[in-house]
Amino acid sequence: MRARLPEFPTQHIDRGQEISFSYLGKRMSGLGGDSVAVAMYDNGVRIFSRSLKYHRPRGLYSLDGESANTLMNIDGIPNENAEKRRLRDGMEVSAQNVRGRPDTDFYSFINWFDRFMPAGFYYRMFHRPYKLWPFFLNRIRKMAGVGTLDIHREFDDSRRFEIFLNADVAVIGGGTAGMNAALAAAGQGLRVCLFEHRAWLGGHMDWRVVEFEDEPLFERARGLAKQVEANTQIRLFTQAPVTGIWGNKLITAYQTGKDGEYFDERYIECRAKSVVVASGCIERPLVCNNNERPGVMQVNTAWRLARTYAITPGKRIVFSIGDDLGLEAALDLAELGLKVLAVADARSDKQNADLLTRLQSAGIEYLPGWAASNVKGGKHVRGVELSELNGSQTCSFKCDLLVASAGQQAVIGPLSTAGAKFRYCTETGLFQPTEMPPKMFSAGRMTGLTHPGSIDTSGTIAGLEAAAACDRDVSTNLDAARRAAAKLPGETKGCDLVYGPGIGAGRKAFICFDGDGTFKNAVQSASQGFDAPELAKRFGGFGLGPGQYQVPGQNLAMAMSNINGTPIENSQFTTVRPPLVPLTLATCVGPRHNIYKQTPLHRDQKARGGIFRNAGVWRRARYFSPDLDCRPEIRNVRENVGLLDGSSLGNFRIYGPDALRALQRVYVSNMEKSREGRCKYSAMCNETGNIVDDGVVTKVADDNYYFTTTSNRAGITIEWFRYHTRFDDWDFKLVNLTDSMGSINVAGPNARNLLQKVTKEDLSNEAFPYMAYKELIVGDGVSARCLRLGFVGELSFELHVAASHSQYVWDLLWEAGQEFKVHPFGMEAQNCLRAEKGHVIVGTESEQRVTLLDIGLGFLWDSNDTSSNKVGAPALRACENQQGRMKLVGFRVSESGVTPLDGDIVVDGNDIVGYVCTTRISESLDCSYGMALVKDGYATRGEKIRMCQALGKRHDEYTATVVPPQFYDPDGQRLRT
Amino acid sequence: MSFTITCPICGERDVYEFHFGGRDRGPPPSHDNLTIEEYLRYAQFRTTRTEAQLEWWFHSNGCGSWFTTWRNPANNREEKPQEMSNDQQ
Repeated sequence: MRARLPEFPTQHIDRGQEISFSYLGKRMSGLGGDSVAVAMYDNGVRIFSRSLKYHRPRGLYSLDGESANTLMNIDGIPNENAEKRRLRDGMEVSAQNVRGRPDTDFYSFINWFDRFMPAGFYYRMFHRPYKLWPFFLNRIRKMAGVGTLDIHREFDDSRRFEIFLNADVAVIGGGTAGMNAALAAAGQGLRVCLFEHRAWLGGHMDWRVVEFEDEPLFERARGLAKQVEANTQIRLFTQAPVTGIWGNKLITAYQTGKDGEYFDERYIECRAKSVVVASGCIERPLVCNNNERPGVMQVNTAWRLARTYAITPGKRIVFSIGDDLGLEAALDLAELGLKVLAVADARSDKQNADLLTRLQSAGIEYLPGWAASNVKGGKHVRGVELSELNGSQTCSFKCDLLVASAGQQAVIGPLSTAGAKFRYCTETGLFQPTEMPPKMFSAGRMTGLTHPGSIDTSGTIAGLEAAAACDRDVSTNLDAARRAAAKLPGETKGCDLVYGPGIGAGRKAFICFDGDGTFKNAVQSASQGFDAPELAKRFGGFGLGPGQYQVPGQNLAMAMSNINGTPIENSQFTTVRPPLVPLTLATCVGPRHNIYKQTPLHRDQKARGGIFRNAGVWRRARYFSPDLDCRPEIRNVRENVGLLDGSSLGNFRIYGPDALRALQRVYVSNMEKSREGRCKYSAMCNETGNIVDDGVVTKVADDNYYFTTTSNRAGITIEWFRYHTRFDDWDFKLVNLTDSMGSINVAGPNARNLLQKVTKEDLSNEAFPYMAYKELIVGDGVSARCLRLGFVGELSFELHVAASHSQYVWDLLWEAGQEFKVHPFGMEAQNCLRAEKGHVIVGTESEQRVTLLDIGLGFLWDSNDTSSNKVGAPALRACENQQGRMKLVGFRVSESGVTPLDGDIVVDGNDIVGYVCTTRISESLDCSYGMALVKDGYATRGEKIRMCQALGKRHDEYTATVVPPQFYDPDGQRLRT
Repeated sequence: MSFTITCPICGERDVYEFHFGGRDRGPPPSHDNLTIEEYLRYAQFRTTRTEAQLEWWFHSNGCGSWFTTWRNPANNREEKPQEMSNDQQ
């Protein structure tokens, strides 16, 4: 670290806090408040990276991450922008896209071959012969590109969060315009959110020492910032760049946590009633030869290095600027004791006369109507040539820093993503909004104002207009503010310089730094027909890098209109797309990657060795044995008794005078037949006759029914009922009991013996037959709804109990089951058991192409009913006798050697005629069996079908026999005994 | 794309809270004497429009009700067709 400039109140550094870090293994140190890039610069680093295509050296150009120049690998994370990342103790920083070190990069020779790499050369050069493309792809990837992701690195996502806000007024930009807008809106009692991408408020006033109304601008800005911070109506987000504005004023942003904050980064979504955009301006780079050499930097970069960070930006400084801020910066640096050799100003008139006088008295050579034409030096600036714009005169200076800019360009990103239209304004030299989205207002420098008073007042006006959009009566204040604005200076003349004098073909005059897009590339694009900015952007690679439009945006628009010879006021800005600022995927994703519901028995199942899998919105126990075939679980259910936690099953109550009509509408069966004490199995179809749900319905009392749905369907059932009855004005109520109830399935030949031990109710086959329903009291008086069903093909009782009683009932059954050696079983065992029985699972044995009839459940449909307008009934009727449909069949594979897999295809020659829905190896049948959906021509029982399995590049074919899908106990004796 | 929908019960909310139920095309046809062509026109055919239309929305992460609201799919704003907004509120 070098000696810094003397202390001054504009600075944002903590001289008491020395921070040590390493760059490429070398120890360096900086001060608290430094960004990584600033600290590196202070330690003498001048070449930060190599460019994408030509491997040209690149240095510190901006301080707000406007280009990819300072993308670094920081603490193992690639593509961190060192300009924006705050320095922390022990940081390890290394360079990217270099072989060796940035200052001695092996690939730097490529710079000399630029004439062989014209615009679009990647697209045109390497695809013939096509076979060589993979070779070139590999080479190019090695040489061009940015960071390398270490996929083996452990990533801690526990400090990434997200917040969702609602605001009355959102203000984008924490400059003085934004602050005034926020205060004006907050003064109306509105809730305001203010987003500022830097760590402090103040915008470009933050480092300016000139006085306005007897107060230095930075002190004015800081006074305003204190008011904003103290205002409880304003929620302030600093270090929070906005990434986009979406439909109806939804603002997305992300915030980097300061030291001691609970998050590293958090994603912000803010829905506002009205929005003020005061995103200000950034500098428009000067397009001249070698304009991106290390040692060329923006006006604000050099200025802020000195004023904000107390760092000497250079020893001998030349300015080539295009606005009064440039003059002010040159004067200010000279007053700080830095050696300013000359100031070339691209404007010939309309300069601030006072600044010119001061420049003269400071003895700085001033060249109006001049600009830099060429930057000399290899790895760093050694001199600069300045020329008159018409090229008639030239002079050179030896210097180590060229402060170059062609004036300002508006930050149009946020407004642009919100749908505002922009047009180039020949007066201000900015792209300014011509058409604003509803309830959005712009203010500040982006509207062409430069006078501090005008900027502030424009903010106040915008804030009041935003308040008016929130239905506040602000007419008096607004009139006063508008009268004040009328007395203040309006828009200022801007700079319309397209490129510096003497750039020739523009071989080394860069419009875009990130993609190495030169002026010559723009000419090449136009000459090959890609003449519109949007086309040139793709063909020549302008603004496709991490900095997006910030460096090339306005220059590309102006250059293309210049090349095409069209009027500059018709030039077009290429579309700006979100995210406006790159952010990590981890920040978008947030902290919770795996969200699921747990059943009331979750902990119990886990303690019993359950292996869990996500199933829809639930987390469910899939296996209870390390053997994933689940043989012991299956055998136990077939021969003894098992317990299944089926709590994810949907349970509903429907009641009211029109409950039955609603059931008749959505279920395919005649629901009048559902009786008290009985379970009626039925299914729901959609309007095209596809089965969407199945379950049982029981009548609890008159106009009062209880029904179950599949786990996946539970979340949408109420919506479905209400949708299909929305025109009917029927009186029924629906209650989703799914989350409030647990379900335990007691299945196996010993199920009755087990259950009988915990209830006094008569469970005999006569008193409680198959498909019956009873409300039982179990144990010490817990009431349970008991459904005698047979999904797994054995005698089984499903107990539905309150979620809070589930564990009690499970424990009761478990204890009672000890004499039978009861065992839990999971989803996989249940799947095998039900598949052996030929019971379908909606979505596994059915899909969009098959109807209720195709999968063999046609018997459920009450086809005579046309009066209740059953959902999907006309579609079922239409395809009742249709040929060429897919049908669900069972199959057996007797061949040994191939184990069928779910998803194997059914083939006939080269044609695919179906696929396997579910297949398992059956112990009881001693063969592989399964269910497949096949075209009806292949569905004949006893026929052989060919199956094909693809494993990597290998294809195995095998033969199966079509059989009825009921493999196990086809008569259903076991579940009826 | 994110926009807002105004639920008659809960007010203006993010569209994420809702499920879309399609353009309002009146009640489904009665199944009595319904030809398959008529039915398919109802069940399968949709018209894409770029003007304000009356739509069904379900407030799934809210009050759980179906309601209709005017929306222009071209800009996702809740607005009525111009000729209607004058005489019909």
